[in-house]
Amino acid sequence: MLISLDWIKDFVDIKNDVDTKELESLFTLGVAEVEKTEVVGDHLSKIKIAEVVEKEKHPEADKLNLVTFHIGDNKNLKVVCGAPNVKIGMKTAYAPLGVTLPNGLTLEPKKIRGVLSEGMLCSEEELGFSEESEGIIELPSDAPLGMSALEYYKLKKDLIFDIDNKSLTHRPDLWGHLGMAREFALLVNNPLKNPYDQAWLDKSKKDYQDSNNAPITLKVEKDSSCLGYFGISLNNVTVGESPEWLKNRLIAVGLRPINNIVDISNYVMCELGHPLHIFDQDLIEGGKLHIKKLSANEKFITLDEKERELISGDTVICDRNKPLVLAGIMGGLNSGVTEKTKNIFIEVANWQAKEVRLTSTRLGLRSDSSSRYEKSLDSMQMLRTLYRTIELVKELSPEASVIGEIQYDGPELKYDPLLINISTSKINRILGTNLEAKKITSILEALEFHVEEKDGALKVSVPSFRATKDIECDADLIEEVGRVIGYDNIEPVGPALDIRPVELSNRANLCKDIREFLVMNGNANEVMTYPMVGDKLLEKCQLENNSLNLINSLSKDHDKMRNSLIPGMLESAALNCKNFSIFKSFELGRVYLPEEKNFVNERLQLCISFYHQNESTYLTLVNTVNRLFDYINISSQPILKHPKFKNEITDENWMGMHPFEFHNFRVMGKIKGYATTLHPLMARKFKIKGNLSFAIIDLEDFADKSRMAKVKYKPLPKFPGSNFDYTVSVARSMNVSDILDKLKKVKIKEITSHSIVDVFEEKEKEIKHVTLRTSFLDRGATLSGDFLKSSEQTIIAELNKSGIELKQA
Amino acid sequence: MKEKLDDIFNEFQSAISELKEQADVLAAKANFLGKKGKISEIMKSIGSMSPEEKKTIGPLVNETKNKMLNLLQDKLNQIEVDNINLKLEKERIDITLLDNIKSEGPAHGGYHPRTIIQREIEDVFLSMGFEVLDGPHVEDEFHNFEALNIPADHPARDMQDTFWFHHPQSDEEKKYLLRTHTSTIQIRGMLERKPPFRFIAPGTVFRCERTDASHEMVFNQLEGMMVGKDVSVAHLIYFMKTLLKEIFKKYVKVRLRPGFFPFVEPGFELDIGCLICNGKGCSVCKKTGWVELLPCGMVHPNVLKAGNIDPDEWSGFAFGLGLDRLVMMRYGIDDIRHFNNGDLRFYEQFQSF
Repeated sequence: MLISLDWIKDFVDIKNDVDTKELESLFTLGVAEVEKTEVVGDHLSKIKIAEVVEKEKHPEADKLNLVTFHIGDNKNLKVVCGAPNVKIGMKTAYAPLGVTLPNGLTLEPKKIRGVLSEGMLCSEEELGFSEESEGIIELPSDAPLGMSALEYYKLKKDLIFDIDNKSLTHRPDLWGHLGMAREFALLVNNPLKNPYDQAWLDKSKKDYQDSNNAPITLKVEKDSSCLGYFGISLNNVTVGESPEWLKNRLIAVGLRPINNIVDISNYVMCELGHPLHIFDQDLIEGGKLHIKKLSANEKFITLDEKERELISGDTVICDRNKPLVLAGIMGGLNSGVTEKTKNIFIEVANWQAKEVRLTSTRLGLRSDSSSRYEKSLDSMQMLRTLYRTIELVKELSPEASVIGEIQYDGPELKYDPLLINISTSKINRILGTNLEAKKITSILEALEFHVEEKDGALKVSVPSFRATKDIECDADLIEEVGRVIGYDNIEPVGPALDIRPVELSNRANLCKDIREFLVMNGNANEVMTYPMVGDKLLEKCQLENNSLNLINSLSKDHDKMRNSLIPGMLESAALNCKNFSIFKSFELGRVYLPEEKNFVNERLQLCISFYHQNESTYLTLVNTVNRLFDYINISSQPILKHPKFKNEITDENWMGMHPFEFHNFRVMGKIKGYATTLHPLMARKFKIKGNLSFAIIDLEDFADKSRMAKVKYKPLPKFPGSNFDYTVSVARSMNVSDILDKLKKVKIKEITSHSIVDVFEEKEKEIKHVTLRTSFLDRGATLSGDFLKSSEQTIIAELNKSGIELKQA
Repeated sequence: MKEKLDDIFNEFQSAISELKEQADVLAAKANFLGKKGKISEIMKSIGSMSPEEKKTIGPLVNETKNKMLNLLQDKLNQIEVDNINLKLEKERIDITLLDNIKSEGPAHGGYHPRTIIQREIEDVFLSMGFEVLDGPHVEDEFHNFEALNIPADHPARDMQDTFWFHHPQSDEEKKYLLRTHTSTIQIRGMLERKPPFRFIAPGTVFRCERTDASHEMVFNQLEGMMVGKDVSVAHLIYFMKTLLKEIFKKYVKVRLRPGFFPFVEPGFELDIGCLICNGKGCSVCKKTGWVELLPCGMVHPNVLKAGNIDPDEWSGFAFGLGLDRLVMMRYGIDDIRHFNNGDLRFYEQFQSF
């Protein structure tokens, strides 16, 4: 919202030479954020009235003239000028070097086609008076030479504050200059001069009395959104252009002057913060306005000449036949004031904020009026607004006369002041300050709260204009005191606290450990992808599409909550394999599974992906996952696909799975994850050339458990152990784990382990030679040679039973 | 005799000096010092000498013998060293062929920049006795709005561009949405514990907002809350200043101005002096010299009540830090969209731990 400092000065004394930067900062720190300030009219104070004395063609350019002129001091100046209307003897406006024009141009000494120009003769556009203009401005011959344009046009320099609307959402009282002036008064420590006091109200009431019958009467339906409706008719109004002062003020706050009557309604709204509407009285049919909810959908053309779809339940102001105004939002084209208007009807009303907001949001129509009503305006301000409007109409159109009594319908208007009890000690306790009762009282009183103070106990009565929504409880009063003394003036203090051990939750620790391991030990980069995905990607992945759908997503590509980390991983891998020939990455994130009872089951999952352009990454990946489980102290076994183990984490037959490279990870008897290599057909769909292996682990079921290291110390053996190395030859397709499985059948208690020493493949023979090592240890005695020999024979015999033979020498 | 011994020594010295192989040296040793060697011959001849001669010649022979043995050992040592060096020379590798100059992708892993900064902040608050919490992303209206003093007709709901799973006007008993702020965890945190307490809650939030370089529909915030007896604005300012000092490792200019958030009263915006231009005015701070970083305030009595806390007995503060904005400030990242796009060219830059 734009606020004019010149306008503010109607209500509070502010020195002309006030430091504007400081004022801006005071306002931002004490009231609401000033987004920027702009000095208006500064250029006009430097632009002078000049008279052209000579004109000659520019030697280098046909369309340019060299113009000689003076500003009354007999000193001739020269500029290069392209305006076609320059003539000797004309009076015009001269902007000297250094002036910054409203279009942003700063005049600097400049040669135009070789001739030095000492500033500029200005057009209306360049002065900022119109949006476009031809030629330089031509002033009457009696315009005094040397006078500044500011003085000539009887304008004032002004400072415009552009205030962030969002920071005013809770302050309906600040949507007009008088309300803003109350804040300025406090900031500069001068009293507020409110001309619209009780005496003025009493005088107005007397002045605008008329005993005729009111031409327009009112009926407000109780179920409408109306909180009160005042109306008055004035006849014999002259519609015309507004005086300069009025036009200038509206322009200053960003409004376009239209005619004196419309301008008055805008002016009063910007002054007092309460919107109003003025009808052409003769366009109201039937002499009566009916304020009601629409009973059926209806089309309505608003003042901005757009057709709006009104629906049943919207509150409107109707005459005998039709809606004339969309309550609180905008008037209709059918009853607005035009140049032809003779008689008017002024509406000052109040509406329920919620209704105005819903209707204006639905229609996408936010007006100056609706943005004020949706903040919850104070009904007690209506009469003042009405009188002020009449006062201005009479001032600009003196022959106009009030016809009939002021009309009112709606709920009875009365305000029982909201009382809040608070103590100075509470204020000081919450703010962390040491303010005296007197100081607190004076701050609240300057904001027009009524305060009764006794021994630090305050009984605060809230003025009606702060009570509609803004001030509700003692915390709101603490804010008033805090912002006025300035939060920056509160000394930071560390609290006295009890000491308690604090540590991360099990879940946070698990995430921390996983990240640490994968970054430090897995050499992987942590990535994050969107939790929302779209049909296009899901179809590409051919993954089951049972996801939660957003009803108002911004795009079809992000309208579903992911139920798997795979789509995001594949998309990311497709991008990264273009830039890297090897990469390892992981994502720790949530998936969102639809659920009957709780709507959603959010599960923390981990996706690790290893990519290599040429080599398989599968074994490295599974080894990394195994070590990760060890690191986080979760006991897990990698197991091969088996119909006995139900996989609830994924569909093992998904087309992205590799036929052979696949492991499940079993934690506490249940499958909690798997690893595979992306099937070449799926890789092709994503244009991933090379080997991408990935693992998905669902962490949800153990994320909140405490994970203690289960290390059990054993004393070091006192007797030496012994190893038996032997090589067997098997079919290449046989897994080494199958050989180890066979060895499990050998029951010799001194055997501590069987392991693989080496594998040598003979591809052409489709066989491989596996060197195994069996380790023996007897913690109570030295192993005898006979024992070892017979044990070795038992081992070989067991293998032979399964057709596994020692390698031929 | 002495001359003879000297000759033998010189002969030995010159015999082994050119030798390169251990075997040749040992052969020379046999020649000179072996049973049939030259020294042995002299030793043998000592037996036939007079006691006088024995007395002088004996030590002389021993001396020469020891000198030769020393020489021999030196030579053997020399050959061993030469051989090892030769082997090393042959097995020499290019020690400059390090991973960091290979074309094969990121040499080592790294954290997401958000993780790095989040952990720093968590550490600061853990050290001051704050717990770290999180909550669900899919929320209901109660936790996201109502309990936070944002009733259905409140204009603040307009400011929240919310992703919905149900139409806000629908008849569904519970209408679900994606949380628009981490403030939901204030409610969950309060309902789960009794005052006094203090916690922070970093987490992902969602806004139905067109994305551009500085706006994301998915981003991260860090909520904080402290409730106790007599918790004050002065305490809030203390914690905020401490946080900023720890994060930026230098003094940061701060200002607090009134700000409107329904769940705090009084409410503030905490601005920091722009670190890009040092307050002179630039595009990042929109020429104001200040950057909005941290909305905060004293917990609204209605919010305390929603958390089953008596506002007459307890007071508290809360703040919400734009985590991603802080990350961008720290690293000078110019486009927030990098955070979620899975592009390793972005992530691999954050490899210093």
